[in-house]
Amino acid sequence: MQIHQKLDKVDKSSFEFVQRDHKIYDKKFETKPIGYFKDAMIRFTKNKTNVIASIILFTLIMLSIFIPIFTSRNYTTLEPRLTLLPPRIPIVERFGIFDGTRIIPGQEVDISTIDPETGIGLPFNTNFPHEFIIPGSVTNESVPCTSTQESCLGGTVRITLREQSLTTSYRTPTLLNFTLSQATPHILTIDLNDISETATLNVLMRRDFVSDYEVIASITEADVHTFNLVDLLGESTFLSTEMRLQVVSTEIAGFVEFNSIDIRQQGAEDPQHRFEGRNLALFPLVSGAGASRITRSDGQLLLSTFRFDPYARALGPWRRPTFSAEEFYALMEANEATCGIVPTNPVGHNFPEGCPVLEVRGRTESVIVGGIERYSYDLTLDFATFRGFDTTPFFFFGTTNGGRDLFALTWVALRTSLLIGVVASAINISIGVVYGAISGYYGGKVDILMERFSEIIARIPFLVVLAIMVAYFGPGITTLIVVLIVSGWIGVASVTRTQFYRFKGREYVLASRTLGAKDSRLIFRHILPNGIGTIITASVLMIPLVIFTESTLSFLGFGIGHGQSFSIGPFEFSGVSIGVLLADGREEMLNNPHLTYFPAIIISILMITFNMFGNALRDAFNPSLRGSE
Amino acid sequence: MIRYSLIRTLWVFIILATVLSINFILLKNAPQLPPPTEEGRSIYYSRQVSDGFMTVRIERDPDLVREARESRPTFLNRLPRNSDFFHEGDQIRIFEPVPLIQQYFSWVNNIVTEWNWGVSTWVQPNVEVFEILMSRIPVTIRLNLVALFFYIPIGFALGILAALRKNTLVDNFISVFVMVMISLPSFVIMTFLVLIFAFGLGWLPTSFPSSDVTGAVQYTALVLPVLGLSFGAIASLTRTSRAELTEVLTSEFLLLARTKGLSQTQAVLRHALRNSMVPLVPGIIGSFVGLLSGSVIIELIYAIPGTGRIFIRAMTQNQYDFNLILAITAFYTVVGLFAILLVDLSYGFVDPRIRMGARK
Repeated sequence: MQIHQKLDKVDKSSFEFVQRDHKIYDKKFETKPIGYFKDAMIRFTKNKTNVIASIILFTLIMLSIFIPIFTSRNYTTLEPRLTLLPPRIPIVERFGIFDGTRIIPGQEVDISTIDPETGIGLPFNTNFPHEFIIPGSVTNESVPCTSTQESCLGGTVRITLREQSLTTSYRTPTLLNFTLSQATPHILTIDLNDISETATLNVLMRRDFVSDYEVIASITEADVHTFNLVDLLGESTFLSTEMRLQVVSTEIAGFVEFNSIDIRQQGAEDPQHRFEGRNLALFPLVSGAGASRITRSDGQLLLSTFRFDPYARALGPWRRPTFSAEEFYALMEANEATCGIVPTNPVGHNFPEGCPVLEVRGRTESVIVGGIERYSYDLTLDFATFRGFDTTPFFFFGTTNGGRDLFALTWVALRTSLLIGVVASAINISIGVVYGAISGYYGGKVDILMERFSEIIARIPFLVVLAIMVAYFGPGITTLIVVLIVSGWIGVASVTRTQFYRFKGREYVLASRTLGAKDSRLIFRHILPNGIGTIITASVLMIPLVIFTESTLSFLGFGIGHGQSFSIGPFEFSGVSIGVLLADGREEMLNNPHLTYFPAIIISILMITFNMFGNALRDAFNPSLRGSE
Repeated sequence: MIRYSLIRTLWVFIILATVLSINFILLKNAPQLPPPTEEGRSIYYSRQVSDGFMTVRIERDPDLVREARESRPTFLNRLPRNSDFFHEGDQIRIFEPVPLIQQYFSWVNNIVTEWNWGVSTWVQPNVEVFEILMSRIPVTIRLNLVALFFYIPIGFALGILAALRKNTLVDNFISVFVMVMISLPSFVIMTFLVLIFAFGLGWLPTSFPSSDVTGAVQYTALVLPVLGLSFGAIASLTRTSRAELTEVLTSEFLLLARTKGLSQTQAVLRHALRNSMVPLVPGIIGSFVGLLSGSVIIELIYAIPGTGRIFIRAMTQNQYDFNLILAITAFYTVVGLFAILLVDLSYGFVDPRIRMGARK
């Protein structure tokens, strides 16, 4: 209303006719005409989200083409030394994520490595050499254990009488040897945690080799009991005896529970014998079996959690017990500058720093094969120098089970997936367009027959096609492509058919026909170009669908796989696709999730951007949406 | 309506017969793989003879017997393809397949008259494949039904919400969710779910428990596979229901309803929702087929003992179990085709224009 009022007030004299005195019919347009594709392009660029998605998609495609060409990392051959390294990314690593280390939880602690100052022990497992554990990252925690593991510490040991037995005896596994004298008497300390009311614990020893074992002490209460062995057994220059523990009870299920048994010379710091936890639980029965059982409880297992540096271990010294001499001398020749002159017998030779060989430990016997003497050296290599890593390499996505660089491999896989997507889509589109064109152009009986045929094909479950193809060709690229195209063309065919029905009755077609144009000319020059927008959209949306199916099939193991390769024209492609990588990652999901999530993220981004791109294209090519945004 | 239903039903049976026949003929024409053990093979061939797929004869000619004893491959080359023989003292028992077309009629006859689908060769040698299949179907069907009843309300709710709040933050959020979930392959979604909720947080079991486990695990084990199956389905249902409802909301009869004096809520509930259901109901029935084939992957990842997993096992390379593959693909084909038939018929019931017998 406001605008109207404003316009009302404009003086009529200020209006003038633009073209009153001009003839404009032979003038050129000042602006360029906007054609169908240009119009689509304008509408496509209007939606910023879709433009961004398209740029990401384009970047992904470019990366998948160029990274496999320019990467210096190995993604083809097996490198067992570099197997399953975690991701390491520059810059980000400074913040403590993706820094090439991994946290190893719950490894049993080697008791002998416990640092007396900090009380922290290092793991027992030889898979984690201590020099590659990041200092300061180790923490220990105790968990309860009842097993007879060596590192299970402390706890109590209980001897329980079974039903219907009222006595049992256990003994030390070996003979104990003493020199008993009054000057420095041996003290036996028995620390009982608990004892059942009616039970008595008798300690038996013998005075010399020939005498019988006799009870030297009887205990009926839970407490710390101390006995002087010299008082009980008398002085002796050499006494060799077992210590027997006899449990007597007047009722069934009597028990004795020990904390520890300790024998030491009076005033000595270290005990001569000490039994607790595991070694007490391993006391054998004196005779018989089944009358009682000896169990352990409340033990503590010390576990360590630490940050481990697998890169350092992988790049460090590498022992090769059989390194062929030929290879050795070739290596020496190649590294003459750093290794210097090697003596005739390199065993024990001091190799200078910077030489890939650290040490030669020995050589094997020579074998004459085909008149040539062959032997090998047992040597230690410095892996980093040997493989030419000057600094610790950055494997952005880590490495696979075979020691291949996952970053490069992911792009190779993406390239393969995209390629299969494009090829299969191209085949589908060609078949679909021709089929739909014929069906739509001729109509009538031809159309009905072709429609029924395509309906039957479309209704064949894809598992049936898969089963048949696998039975004939086995899993592989042939099976994959055929499964992808058996029913893939039907969508394009029906879109094309609709377009043909729409345009075949138009006047310009009739005009062309009256001028004598053949069917093929009408189809390909007049009708098809008019329906091309819709067909292009259907085609673009087919590529992600094909990639989707391809990766699923490869994941199930029916597509391509490692070790396969196929060639299209002069180009050779590896058999690794994203589905294959994810199938590999599934086996390592628990310990090495990086094998799963990087390929999964990449394929997710690809699918999302591809779908957004396709949808944007569809909207752009649909003239009925013009001006609606 | 009756004519329409009859034609659709007939058409489904024609397609079913075609697909199963093609499948049988092509699979039986491939090199057959009898059970691995000699004893299993012997039982299997006897069964093949009684089912009418093979003939047996005894060869007593000493020259031939000697030849067979000397070199098995050369002798097998002289016999028709997929033949086999056994030594029995100074004679040999030879099993030869009958012509393929005869096998086909025997197969049809066996199924129609005795419901005999043959025996398994590798997965469980000499066990009736139909028994194997029947032991697997309940797990798969239960999983898929739970997923179906899980995803429909959520998909609808999200779709309706997005349509009513079109072009708001809620709508944009739902659109992003839909786009992401439609794009992700279900094995990626399932892998992440297992990685996060089973291995990472430890809330749910990392694989499906065996059938004799009782208690809460039975139900918690369903959570991840149902989620893995549903995300894609929720996304596509949300997208279609949003599109349908948006279209109806801008239609003129809804404006009429509003001008009659109905409130926005009344208009949406009485007119918009009911009309947008017309194309959605058949779509939901059809989605069951999609769920079913999607569950092959979920079953593999989560170690669920269902039909999908047994299919993958029957397809182990060089251990193809053709009879089992035939039975499982027949199961999937039948379920798929009848779901499509239901879709077609439901169009008739839901859409009054078809119900009243209107021509196209």
